[in-house]
Amino acid sequence: MSGFLQQCFNGLVSGGFYALLALGLAVIFGMLGVVNFAHGAFFMLGAFGAYVALAEFGVPFWAALVAVPALLFLFGAVLERTLIRRLVPFDPLYNFLLTFGLTLVLQDLVKREYGVQSQPYPRPAELSGSLDLGLFDYPAYQVFVLAAAVLLCLAVWLILTRTRVGMVVRAATERPELTRALGVNVGRWVTPVFAFGVALAGLAGVLAAPMRAVNPLMGADLIIAVFAVVVIGGLGSVFGSVLAGFAIGLVQSLGNLYVPALSQTLIFIIMAGVLLWRPAGLFGREEART
Amino acid sequence: MIRLFLRHTEPAGRRPLRYLLLAAGLLLALALPWLIYPPVAMDIASWALFAAALDLLLGYTGLLSFGHAAFWGTSAYAAGLIAIHSGLPFPVAVLGGALLAAALAVPIGYLCVRNSGIYFAMVTLAFAQMIYFVANQWRSLTGGENGLQGIPRELLGLDLSDPFVFYYAGLPIVLLGLWGLWRIVHSPFGHVLVAIRDNPARARAIGYPVERYKLLAFVLSAALSGLAGGLFAISHGFASLQEVNWTTSGKAVMMVVLGGIGSLWGSTLGAALVVQLEDYLSTAGFDGIGIVTGTVFVLVVLLFRQGLWGAGRQLGAAAGRARRRRPKPPAATEAAPVPTPTTREEAAWTPSPRG
Amino acid sequence: MRTTIRAVTAVLATGGLLVAGCGRGGPGGGGDEKVSGGKIVLAVLNDQSGVYADLSGRNSVEAVRMAVADFQAKYGDRAVTKNIEVVTADHQNKPDIANSKAQELYDRQQADVILDVPTSSAALAVANVAKAKKKLYFNIGAATTELTGKQCNKYTFHYAYDTYMLANGTGSAVTKEGGKNWYIVYPDYAFGQDMQKSFTAAITAAGGKVLAKDPTPFPNDNFSTFLLKAPAMNPRPDVLGTMQAGGDLVNLVKQYNEFKLRDKGIKLSVGLMFITDIHSLGPDAFAGTTFTDAWYWNFDDRNRQWADRFTAKTRTRPSFAHAANYSAAMQYLEAVQRAGTDAADAVVGRLEGYSYDDVFARNATVRAEDHRVVHDVYLAEVKPKSEVKTDWDYERILRTIPAAEAFRPVGTGGCAL
Repeated sequence: MSGFLQQCFNGLVSGGFYALLALGLAVIFGMLGVVNFAHGAFFMLGAFGAYVALAEFGVPFWAALVAVPALLFLFGAVLERTLIRRLVPFDPLYNFLLTFGLTLVLQDLVKREYGVQSQPYPRPAELSGSLDLGLFDYPAYQVFVLAAAVLLCLAVWLILTRTRVGMVVRAATERPELTRALGVNVGRWVTPVFAFGVALAGLAGVLAAPMRAVNPLMGADLIIAVFAVVVIGGLGSVFGSVLAGFAIGLVQSLGNLYVPALSQTLIFIIMAGVLLWRPAGLFGREEART
Repeated sequence: MIRLFLRHTEPAGRRPLRYLLLAAGLLLALALPWLIYPPVAMDIASWALFAAALDLLLGYTGLLSFGHAAFWGTSAYAAGLIAIHSGLPFPVAVLGGALLAAALAVPIGYLCVRNSGIYFAMVTLAFAQMIYFVANQWRSLTGGENGLQGIPRELLGLDLSDPFVFYYAGLPIVLLGLWGLWRIVHSPFGHVLVAIRDNPARARAIGYPVERYKLLAFVLSAALSGLAGGLFAISHGFASLQEVNWTTSGKAVMMVVLGGIGSLWGSTLGAALVVQLEDYLSTAGFDGIGIVTGTVFVLVVLLFRQGLWGAGRQLGAAAGRARRRRPKPPAATEAAPVPTPTTREEAAWTPSPRG
Repeated sequence: MRTTIRAVTAVLATGGLLVAGCGRGGPGGGGDEKVSGGKIVLAVLNDQSGVYADLSGRNSVEAVRMAVADFQAKYGDRAVTKNIEVVTADHQNKPDIANSKAQELYDRQQADVILDVPTSSAALAVANVAKAKKKLYFNIGAATTELTGKQCNKYTFHYAYDTYMLANGTGSAVTKEGGKNWYIVYPDYAFGQDMQKSFTAAITAAGGKVLAKDPTPFPNDNFSTFLLKAPAMNPRPDVLGTMQAGGDLVNLVKQYNEFKLRDKGIKLSVGLMFITDIHSLGPDAFAGTTFTDAWYWNFDDRNRQWADRFTAKTRTRPSFAHAANYSAAMQYLEAVQRAGTDAADAVVGRLEGYSYDDVFARNATVRAEDHRVVHDVYLAEVKPKSEVKTDWDYERILRTIPAAEAFRPVGTGGCAL
């Protein structure tokens, strides 16, 4: 029994990363109608940012947790202003292609600078032990990651539901035409929202650095799975994306244990099933699909 | 209303130019292995067909598939297995591969065409990744990471081991495929696809079963991608996981966009450029292939959305207009053999409500 | 319109047949020179931008240049030719590029031998090119035993290591030292499956037992499922054998340490580990881990001297792949010297059955039966950081596995030469 619960816990930790990335994708998509292929690359930049901060400037994990997302926020804002914005008037697929090209460039730039070998990143000393969770012991760092992911998703949820910014974003995400028709100035929120999504991916990257291999390809491996997650959850739905993120993490972890032969294809099989049943995703609406 | 799309007339005076272009293209295709290294020439030919087949979806149906490696790769493996185990002539093996790719495209297409736009891109990418994992694990069939090696080239007892000779044995398949695509896009069916691309709601209202048309386009595109993939595997003598990797899908998309969406010439041009660039960079001593290809791609998307072919065509059209001093809208002065009702990039895809 | 197309097709078909029929002249004759084209060309075809770039990559080209310089210094005027070139290409880990480039290197750049070629699919593809072109090929970077198994050929030599050697060395040695009960996790693709089979065979032969073996997704970033299963097993395994490589290995080891399996009495044994992996994660992460290495720079004075020369050129310590590229290039040139020509068949004849001893390959023999180059290999343990004295001083060699025991016995791989 405790073994099963431990596996569930594992699944939720992986799910936390899916959820954070899916959340950023969903918010950006809602605001700009852009699916950001480079989201995986930003995740990788976050992890590398933490590594470089520590290795070259001696900046510890906790400071990197704030500084790296802040830098990525700026990077995202510049990117939105200089590149993404130019293509928004055209078909959203152009921005998908643009961010695909950016992914190649960012990956190879990091590769040239740091090689493809995984870089070392130690766990913060405060979280190096393990925690007694009643039924079982669990590495403290992973507990922290899960807690951080859940809290971040909750915080974003609160921002979206309780603040004026959030209401504009949510309205623009779920009913873009109506929002515009009602005279809400969506435009001025575009840059901060895009930058926020990028920062969120970077934050997930910093969180991943101490427990995963920090290398230039770490984001590319993840992003396709995250795409499947948002397709399952419903791209237009912030709530659906987050929920699907945690759920897929859980299912994959249990899949590893019970049906190892299917462990990699499971997520795509689920996606096929969801598409068959609800083409717009579990929480998506029909009009968000085009 | 739909007759508008069927009418497709071009100024009669442009026709000779089109045949001139066609003749020049064929001559170049025939001369290619004299100009560049023959195996690279064969790669260009295979990729050109792949990119053009992808463009049937992207340019003519308005669907961006980011998972066409699934069909290219499935056919590569299937053609290889047929060639290894049956000893049939290689064109038969390639055809078998293409048919299997088409068969695979039916269920995947069925699930994908219910979505369009960005959703379609993500879903195709995800399914292709699934095929990748299956190929990786199904080692008894695909050889897994080692790849399927030692694929023979059999054709009526001819010695095809010289890549120079094989190029001429394989080229007819590519040309046949391109000709098939040309016929498709100029058929009434092709015009319906364009109608669906430009305004799916209207096409549906007129009574076209939009989903079924899209599915058929998807399957045809997959079959022709399979033709290219099978030929590629035969020409290299092996099929590997690279063939089903998402980077292969990305490369094909890059070729289409670089060359020019909505033009078979453009896709061919894009394929030639990307293959040559990769070939050049592998000995150039610069270890950042993604930096070069990615930057070029970003620039094309930002500045030349009509692609190199489209840009060239616009220049040609502008020059022609200036000479004749007879202003005409660009759509009517189509010089290329692939006339589309609309060439401006804004209309190349389904109009977005988020404009 | 239709007739036009038909006419064009017809013209095309005739044109194609005509051109194909004419063909081209054969390669230019070499005259009466001892070596073809008046020069020997060594080509290094490897990954200079992807996952194997640090392990081998450009620095292997440097190692081959060192071999050429050493050969020229050794023979001076007596050398079969003074004209030796080194060329290189990056196959980007893509087998199709490896295939095209190999043909181009042999045909256009007149390469007499291709060296390195990591990634099994690329390695096997190049073996087929070597066979077709009847030119030599020394594989160093790839691990698949197929090169000396069913897909062996007259012109292909497998030089440094393979999955059998890695598994056999570690599996039997660790079992003999008391690690009787094993739990194996392996990535579910060709390399992992081969390693798992070889490991299981070696462990069983040494009197140990494999309690369980689990395939894992590849790539994978969360191994907790398997790491949690290990201590819960009954009986509890003594050793966790992992066949993961590269980034996945780094993930697994990070999580192995997080779950503190070593404190629970489960040691970690790694199927495939390169010194670059230890360097990237830091020795402490791997401390106490055992693995089989084909060569270690800090093993003895002879290795250190060569490593110092290498470091002077590249500013990094050599991996086994660098040393093996040097050695393979050297042995190729020596064989040409013995044969007095670079004609491929003559050189192959001089290599088959040849025994030698150089800085990389100790007590080495080029097996005539399957072209496996057998040599001493080493069971290594990763030192804790406190014992690391200089940069890259990560390994303690526990014992030398003699050449005769290290590799797959002749006749069991299915090679028919």
